[in-house]
Amino acid sequence: MTEDQRIDPAGQIRRGNTAAIVFGVLAVVGVAAFAVTLFGTHPEHAWQAYLINFLLWTGLASGGVVFSAIMQVVGARWSGRMAGIAEAFSAFFPVSFLLFLLLFLGQTHVFPWLHEDLHGKEVWLNVPFLFARDAAGLLILYGTGFCYLYNSLQLRFGSTKGAGRLREGLQQRWARRGIELDAVKRRAGFWALLYCLSFALVISLIAYDLVMAADPHWISTLFGAYSFVKAIYLGLGGLIITASVLYLRNGKDTGLTLDHFHDVGKLFFAFCLVWGDFFYAQLVVIWYGNISEETAYVIERTMLAPWHTAAWAVLLVCFVGPFLILINKKIKTVPMAMIVLCSVVVAGMYLEHMLLLGPAISHGVDTIPIGVSDLLIFLGFFGLMAYAVLTFMQQFPEVARLEKREAS
Amino acid sequence: MADDRHLMGLFAEESAAVAAVGAIGESPFRVTKVFSPIPSHRLANALKVKKSWVGLFTLAGGIIGFFSGFLLAIFTASRWGLIVSGKPVVALVPFLIVGFEFTILFAVFGNIIGFLFMTDLPRFDWRRHYDERLSGEHYGVLVVCPAEREDELAALLTKEGAEVRRMEEDGPPGGAADRSEPGPS
Repeated sequence: MTEDQRIDPAGQIRRGNTAAIVFGVLAVVGVAAFAVTLFGTHPEHAWQAYLINFLLWTGLASGGVVFSAIMQVVGARWSGRMAGIAEAFSAFFPVSFLLFLLLFLGQTHVFPWLHEDLHGKEVWLNVPFLFARDAAGLLILYGTGFCYLYNSLQLRFGSTKGAGRLREGLQQRWARRGIELDAVKRRAGFWALLYCLSFALVISLIAYDLVMAADPHWISTLFGAYSFVKAIYLGLGGLIITASVLYLRNGKDTGLTLDHFHDVGKLFFAFCLVWGDFFYAQLVVIWYGNISEETAYVIERTMLAPWHTAAWAVLLVCFVGPFLILINKKIKTVPMAMIVLCSVVVAGMYLEHMLLLGPAISHGVDTIPIGVSDLLIFLGFFGLMAYAVLTFMQQFPEVARLEKREAS
Repeated sequence: MADDRHLMGLFAEESAAVAAVGAIGESPFRVTKVFSPIPSHRLANALKVKKSWVGLFTLAGGIIGFFSGFLLAIFTASRWGLIVSGKPVVALVPFLIVGFEFTILFAVFGNIIGFLFMTDLPRFDWRRHYDERLSGEHYGVLVVCPAEREDELAALLTKEGAEVRRMEEDGPPGGAADRSEPGPS
């Protein structure tokens, strides 16, 4: 790559616009597929796909930002520019909040317990209270996330000028307030800590309300922790995919080295183990307890057709496969290989959500209800996420590529 | 070989030892061993050390341990054959814990065995071709050469800033043949 190519701003803008159009088209296709399925014979199918995608992409976005927050809290330097890339997922927060509010329209399909006798659980499981507490939780999560981001962005970009209304507005505000860098660092650490705490609590709450409650008579106290560990695993997967795409595109101009990929790959490997451990920790307790109201949930999903095939697929794709592959050191430093592996894990996590929700929402099916519409809705959500991340990177292009003076 | 001679170059600085390893690599002589008071990536890079096989020993140990754990749990459970709470005698779900623990244990065993095997340990003749200062702050580069080129090698090591020590080949360590030549001041 020549010097001219590396610093060609017009080329960058052109490529950015093309990508934005592609992601926008994907989002529109997803909306169209959702609408067609919704007005077809099985509207519950559309809402099931919607809920699964909402959970998947919300987990990925919040889990990605938690990586940056953890790095800030512990003062880690090994992650280098990875933390800045992870912050780009915050652009999905407003989209995620709107998507959550839209779930209200599909309440009769996404909350199977609406048609059941809840034996006293109505106090907790009723639609107004559920939406109020979950919306409040998401507002707290995303609010603390943005407060952290405000300070973190000042640390990263407070001294550099940039285009874009958001960037200019932030820079004017930073200049007006004139807070010392040490104070900004302390504030970033404080909000990062709050974000990590609210992440654990809110993702647990969302998991209890939107996933576990789909089968209202089944209880697992570990389900919340399992869900936020899964979100971190997903977030790391999303981060590696994004960083790898940027590295393949911009090379060393991203400020990333293969050591960064090796280190974050090790963390991804570690969370693969933690996720597998939390999965097993739930399973073994239920196995030993052997209480019918707990075992029925597991038996339906792991031993009975059609779901048992999905259960084995999830185990292979999200745990056994990544575990065996990531033992190898070199693979972690090959961005293209990591894109494939992390994409497979994300797809496996889609199937895992399907496994948790499918039997409750799609009763008595003979085959796992995944069709073309599911794929298109998935692509639509992917388009929304990618568009949001791209928008962030257009506001803060240094995330994707070093400034010339930084590179020199 | 009988007509080979071993010379030890003793260095006070890591960078000098690294440079000497590089210089010897370009000469007809062969480095047989390098001593370092600290783990040194620079020395490892200069020696162009091939990837260690110890990891494979660890992996093999882990795999053997995983299945050994399951087999032990199955064997002991089947000796008694007690049915508790209607659970099967051979139950793979809880046996995974034993399998996991054995994976870790045998992986550690594999690692230690691999380490000992690949480094030819234990060695009881460790004082041969050794200098006490290598347990302190000195770096040592042990080089082998034909007897007739001993002086040439000594000159090379001295040029690289080493204190050269001619090592006793057959007799006891510290014998009359072990003698040091100070490096350049």
